[in-house]
Amino acid sequence: MLALYRSILYFYPAPYRAEYGDEMLEVLSEREAETRKKSALARAPSRAREASGLLYGALQEHLRRFRGAHDRGRFRFLFLGGRVAMRSEFRFPKATVGLMLVILAAVMFTIEKAKAISASIPHGNPPVGHILPSQLTILPTLLVALISAIGAGVIGWAILFALRRSGIQQLSEMNPSAGQRRGK
Amino acid sequence: MEVSEPVLLILLSLAERPRHGYAILQDTESMSDGRVRLSTGTLYGALARLLEDKWIERFKEQDRSRGRQAYRLTDEGRRNLQMEVSRLKRLARLGTLRVAEKGT
Repeated sequence: MLALYRSILYFYPAPYRAEYGDEMLEVLSEREAETRKKSALARAPSRAREASGLLYGALQEHLRRFRGAHDRGRFRFLFLGGRVAMRSEFRFPKATVGLMLVILAAVMFTIEKAKAISASIPHGNPPVGHILPSQLTILPTLLVALISAIGAGVIGWAILFALRRSGIQQLSEMNPSAGQRRGK
Repeated sequence: MEVSEPVLLILLSLAERPRHGYAILQDTESMSDGRVRLSTGTLYGALARLLEDKWIERFKEQDRSRGRQAYRLTDEGRRNLQMEVSRLKRLARLGTLRVAEKGT
């Protein structure tokens, strides 16, 4: 049972574990000795409570570290900084560039391959029939162009917005908070 | 700092005398007639916060044979606990009055 508790302790942030880990294990072993005196039926709930208490505690510690709650009260504004810093999913890892190059190469290769296949097939396609005047109207074309432009704009804006949130803002808000946390 | 019932009981336990982790758990349980049964994870979460806010401090025990760490209330912690107890007294007085009042 203590081995299980010990493994749950690894879910705690390392500094916390270094500070309280041994003591907690000591208390847990005393609790376990107390639990062993109980009936087999009464043991399970008390062990479950200890295990879930540990898991919940680990979660709380991580959240506290994330929010920079060490400075609770005095540096309340850091709560916002902490939340912005959580948006790490918008950061591009270096591997993304490599992956994009691979995808680009694959697309180019596919296009070249398709060209080669189309060139190798004799021109057996039936000729295109007469184009009806109704298909030549310019309005639908303009409409499609307009919608495409809006779509591209929205996507571009979203990318820029994400980059701004993750890049500049994150840097400017994370550095002071990290500095203060280290300074503590 | 928000003083929840478990935190209040931990503080009251340390107000009497310095105690180590397991002794705090036993004391909080007996003070609340077995109603508040803290897990080790909850206890150390609270102790870490109280240490950070300097309400409690580590205390060197004479008997350190088992590698147990004792904690005691700081002066600031005692003052804060006193304020909290006064607040609860006021609340209890108000509660007594309000409960006694007949609804119209």
